[in-house]
Amino acid sequence: MSQSLINLTAFLGIALTLWLVAKALSSKNVLQSKLKKQKTLTEDILKQLYHVEQSRRTATLDNLAGALQLRRRNILPVVEAMTTTGLINLNDTEIELTEEGKQYALKIVRIHRLWEKYLAERTGHKPSEWHHLAEKMEHKLSEEETGKLDSFLGNPMFDPHGDPIPSELGEVNTVKWTPLPSYPVNKPGKIAHIEDEPGVVYRQILNKRIFVGSHIKLIKANNNEVAFICEGEKHRFSSIVAANIHIEPLSEDEAFEENAIRLSALKAGEIAEVIGLSKECRGANRRRLLDLGILPGTQVEVDLESPMRDPVAYKVRNTSIALRNSLADLILINKN
Amino acid sequence: MNKNTDNSIVQLASELRWKLGDNFHDKLTEGIYTDASLIAAQAVEEHGKKRNYTLDSKIDKIVTSKKWGFPIMIGILSVILWITITGANYPSGLLFNLLIDTLYPALKSLAAKIGMVWWLDGLLIDGIYLAVAWVVSVMLPPMAIFFPLFTLLEDFGYLPRVAFNMDALFKKTGAHGKQALTMSMGWGCNAAGVIATRIIDSPRERLIAIITNNFSLCNGRWPTQILIATIFIGALVPASLSGAVASLSVIGIALLGVAFMFLTSWMLSTTVLKGEVSTFTLELPPYRPPRFWQTIYTSVIDRTLIVLWRAVVFAAPAGAVIWLVSNVHIGNLTLADQLIGWLNPFGVFVGLNGIILLAYIIAIPANEIIIPTILMLTVANLNLVGVGSGNGVMFELDSNLDTANVLMAGGWTVLTGVNLMLFSLLHNPCSTTIYTIYQETKSIKWTTVASILPIIMGFVVTFLVTQFWHIFIG
Repeated sequence: MSQSLINLTAFLGIALTLWLVAKALSSKNVLQSKLKKQKTLTEDILKQLYHVEQSRRTATLDNLAGALQLRRRNILPVVEAMTTTGLINLNDTEIELTEEGKQYALKIVRIHRLWEKYLAERTGHKPSEWHHLAEKMEHKLSEEETGKLDSFLGNPMFDPHGDPIPSELGEVNTVKWTPLPSYPVNKPGKIAHIEDEPGVVYRQILNKRIFVGSHIKLIKANNNEVAFICEGEKHRFSSIVAANIHIEPLSEDEAFEENAIRLSALKAGEIAEVIGLSKECRGANRRRLLDLGILPGTQVEVDLESPMRDPVAYKVRNTSIALRNSLADLILINKN
Repeated sequence: MNKNTDNSIVQLASELRWKLGDNFHDKLTEGIYTDASLIAAQAVEEHGKKRNYTLDSKIDKIVTSKKWGFPIMIGILSVILWITITGANYPSGLLFNLLIDTLYPALKSLAAKIGMVWWLDGLLIDGIYLAVAWVVSVMLPPMAIFFPLFTLLEDFGYLPRVAFNMDALFKKTGAHGKQALTMSMGWGCNAAGVIATRIIDSPRERLIAIITNNFSLCNGRWPTQILIATIFIGALVPASLSGAVASLSVIGIALLGVAFMFLTSWMLSTTVLKGEVSTFTLELPPYRPPRFWQTIYTSVIDRTLIVLWRAVVFAAPAGAVIWLVSNVHIGNLTLADQLIGWLNPFGVFVGLNGIILLAYIIAIPANEIIIPTILMLTVANLNLVGVGSGNGVMFELDSNLDTANVLMAGGWTVLTGVNLMLFSLLHNPCSTTIYTIYQETKSIKWTTVASILPIIMGFVVTFLVTQFWHIFIG
């Protein structure tokens, strides 16, 4: 009996050790050479400075350290080295990018956004995982590899969150977005961008199944709360969360889809017509739906509900096709 | 053209590019598909009978209803398994009678007549022939019953409805509703279950289904479970209850397999398979009367014979190995005794023994020959007199009591029995299945994961059961 207790304890000990080792190996910094760590930190600082300058703020050593969640003394030697190599200028306490530094930063941003696009189109990773994975990849890809990735993805212009991807030459589109709380009430618009940081807020938006590209109409906005209609569903967000959703007006050739609802909201016995697929429906899933003939103008109705009402079978072109609700959310229809 | 206009063209192109808008590609593809469907609608004429919607939807309303959906499904599956297990006994007995009780002695006497040297006779007849004959006689009948029944249901159109009903459950663990079908197919044969995963069109979910198929207790393992449960667990309760208790414990093991299947699916989909592409669409085809003869033919040819052939290909060399380890001597001991000596400490540590581990290594081609191999090794290892047919010759005993006596002589306790039942569920797939997994995935990585993962789980589970058993029971 005592032998068994010893055995069990040893087993638990070994299991715990293995788990800790695995965890340490998968975390960011272990097993990286000093040189690599310095490169990573340099690139993180450049990117942070780029974002700060984009939002027309100024950066100091303190708020830089704060944003990167490091101590001041840990980033100081790297900042000094970057000043020597001409990537940044240090005036008094203010730090700003030189032209060379800005170009370098844009390269990093380009890899980050391209990789997010790749993850969205070609893998099964969830949106909440994209940012974290791209943060790792942006330090790894060479310029040549980035070029290959770009043409493999068909030279995309925007990442899945709606951010413009800088071109190879370092050009980047200027965007004209309005944060949702300050967008005019009752004016149709569409979601151009959803900020993926901080993660907590982003996941809150994802959980409500709000996607880039959806048409939207604000019905009420005050200091605390925003209410809006998106694809037939009414949502209420606190202004802080809503400020991470950015809106742009519809272009001339886009009509506001006033009556658009999601296929998942169709009830048994109702007939509807497909308007189109949401932008959030990507890659293999999008091709599958197109292959099945779920196209603008196609008639759909509910054929059968499974015992737990997920999936639901729809009658499309004389065939019964079962879709999970999460996918049916991405098909827009017009009930008539 | 001079440099200046070159530059202005590039600049214009890059300006226009940004104006194209983000969904340019999507709109273009959508347009192509829409045009294609319009052209098809104009050009294609439909002949023949229209699908009978009223009857179909009446059947569908019942088999996917909240009230009847699951009971009907469990009922049909139980009936199929019952028909397979009981129905296979008779043809299995016939084949066994023919191949092993009649043909085997005939071959032996023929070999003696022509004066074949003892080792060639042993290697060819006791080793290779016996292993192949054994695998054929125990494997063929259940597969020849199970697969046609299953294929008939598939042809009728019922199986997609099962996937439809079960999907919500499987979705929670990151798997596909159709895995319910490949899992059930695995109860017939894991190799066939792995082939059946072709019906899952999403890459991630298909890999999950392939790797977890081994947790379906296959045909080759049911008899082992039933035998061991009867000997060790049934004996714990009064004789009147022993049959029921033994059956319940076997069903318990099968359900434990389902639990492990869900657990492993969830683990895989949240860790190593997180990034694989995943889609879900499921077509519910119209019902139709099954094409009986065609179904029988394809299921016998495509599933039964292919799987059987693979099993035979692997059984032949394994038969040779089984005979050789028991007859090749190193010093005073046979190779088998040497290996058992080495494996025994670890075997006892996880609550099994060296003989069981060696049997699982050399009888890798088929789970059906595990018990005969264990019996043969035990008798040879202990030099028991009066049982068995000689070194390297697999055998089975007619009565459970005799089997129990041999195993008890080998030092088996109730704990060993329980652990063998667990290990029989949680160990590497048979070589036929491993080969099939490689054929289906074409990936050494996933084949290795599918082979190693269950055996690690098996050792951990038997180890934990053993330690707790010693602490709480003695």
